Amino acid sequence: MNRLVIAAVLVILSGCAFGPKRVDSSRTEGPDKSYTVDLPVGWISQVTYHSRLLVSRDGPPLEYILITKTSLKTAFPKTKKAASETMLPAELAELQIAEIKSEDQYTAALTVAENEPAEIAGHQGFRFRVRYKNNRGLEIQRVAYGFAEKSDYYQVQFGAPTLYYFDRYYPDFQKTVASFQLSDSNKKTSALKSQRLLSENLTRSNWTGH
Amino acid sequence: MRRNKTIRGDAYPGAQSDLAAGSYRCRPFARAAATALILAWAVSAAGAKVEPFSDSAALEHVNGDERRVWTQGNEIALAIDRGGIIYENPGASAYVQSVMDRLFPEFKGSVQVAIVKSSQLNAFALPNGRIYINQGLLARLRNEAQLATLLGHEGTHFTYRHGYQSERKVKNAGAFATFGSMILPGAVGFLPQLLAISSVYGFSREMETEADVQGFARLQRAGYDVHESPRIFEHLMADIKAEDIKEPFFFATHPKLADRVQNMKKLSAGAPYGGDGTSDLEYANRMAQLRLDSLEHMLSMGRAKSALVMLSDPERVPEFPPEAQYYLGEAYRLRGHEGDARLAEEAYLKAIEVAPAFPPSYRGLGVLRFKANHYTDAQNYLDRYLELAPDAPDRKYVDSYLSIARKKAGSQP
Repeated sequence: MNRLVIAAVLVILSGCAFGPKRVDSSRTEGPDKSYTVDLPVGWISQVTYHSRLLVSRDGPPLEYILITKTSLKTAFPKTKKAASETMLPAELAELQIAEIKSEDQYTAALTVAENEPAEIAGHQGFRFRVRYKNNRGLEIQRVAYGFAEKSDYYQVQFGAPTLYYFDRYYPDFQKTVASFQLSDSNKKTSALKSQRLLSENLTRSNWTGH
Repeated sequence: MRRNKTIRGDAYPGAQSDLAAGSYRCRPFARAAATALILAWAVSAAGAKVEPFSDSAALEHVNGDERRVWTQGNEIALAIDRGGIIYENPGASAYVQSVMDRLFPEFKGSVQVAIVKSSQLNAFALPNGRIYINQGLLARLRNEAQLATLLGHEGTHFTYRHGYQSERKVKNAGAFATFGSMILPGAVGFLPQLLAISSVYGFSREMETEADVQGFARLQRAGYDVHESPRIFEHLMADIKAEDIKEPFFFATHPKLADRVQNMKKLSAGAPYGGDGTSDLEYANRMAQLRLDSLEHMLSMGRAKSALVMLSDPERVPEFPPEAQYYLGEAYRLRGHEGDARLAEEAYLKAIEVAPAFPPSYRGLGVLRFKANHYTDAQNYLDRYLELAPDAPDRKYVDSYLSIARKKAGSQP
């Protein structure tokens, strides 16, 4: 009986988390090996639920970089919106912002400071920066880059309080974004694919908006 | 991970609940614990009765435990203020406050109403007389009498001291405290959190019924048409059904919404018709900007169905400013069902017809045409959009569409 209980606890825990580890100078591979990235050396990385790669120096409440790869169909669970590969970058950004707004009453009142097209890992995607206050009046900023590749949605996000932390660690985040690459198996089909989507695949009629 | 002991940023969305504590916890457990806590509180909340406040002068005598509860209410109010979630619209705020003052003249200056930037259909009262109404709920109401119904109910929670009574019951429930400390360490002793929970999720069934009955009496005394009272529930029930809403909702918990409709119908059955506050258009004029802001907020959260419930009823078209046609188009676009692109296009065209100086309609139509490969049309509409809104925040996206549209238009016959 005791063994069963212990086994159950282990199963539950293993489903919830993987242990944190210190980032060294080598290149980091995503949990499912679909991408590689240079993370800030000395920060602590942890794979959280849904294979999200979370990196922080002083703790996630103070600054974090979050890299996610999810299916386009399930990428926006709070708003329950299904995305598709043929969506314009602005549409993906719109869905991602709605998802953040749906987190709680404070993010619901966020302000979009910037929202523009951006290239990440050779893909046309989006970059936006939003700001909101928490219940202590502390302003938080988040920057997100995202793009669609086949049926997957990749996002690299940075969040930190405006006070001290955002400006201090934003350059580290930018280096991380610049280093982000899809793995070789994905590269073959992905390089400049989104550029082609924008310029050639516009004949598809199943885009749902802008 | 190392955690800074002096500054808490909450930058990471899951920070409070899992990783910030140094170890990851499963969210479903936290939810279950919170639910159990609320249930335990609800079960323990029986008995105990205090007299209602008679007027503002009576508030001077609040002391002891009740003063402490007020202080906790102040803390919640402060967090709400600090969080930047109060909707700033002096006209709408003054109007809502004036209705509250008409209902509770002896409490003028003591009951303060604020509008919250939220599209959820919710309102709540804090023990200290602060009443919060979500923008989304105000946008759904049809007239002043319905607004007065809502305010009469929430104001009664304050004048009948329901927040204090709830807290007292919680405090007296020893079993609850033990249970609470077992499942949610740190919860007991943190009564502001419980106050917030009780305020947002509803008071006990008895308190809610009392708020209905006493709020109704206020409505009558102030000269409003009480026959609007059941209608507020009927409209909102229709909305809930259409949207499949499962969220904190005004009056939704105790007793059941369908029962509330029946209660309000019984209360208003013998009352004469012809009271004040029944003009939908007058309310629409006062709430014009709030309704547009609410629609924008709703759509920015991807809640297309909510917007469609408000906008797709042809009878209600006169209640909205002309620009609302654009939001109707956006709602269809975001919903994305088969045929919605055509409906969106029709709505954008209508918006251009009735509000030609409103830039977003041109962008909406331009992007639709762009996606349908009608590049010359797309170019025309998008150019017009940037002409009307040269500093548009999405200019870079639109420029990228225009760049492609120009190339493609050149190669089209």
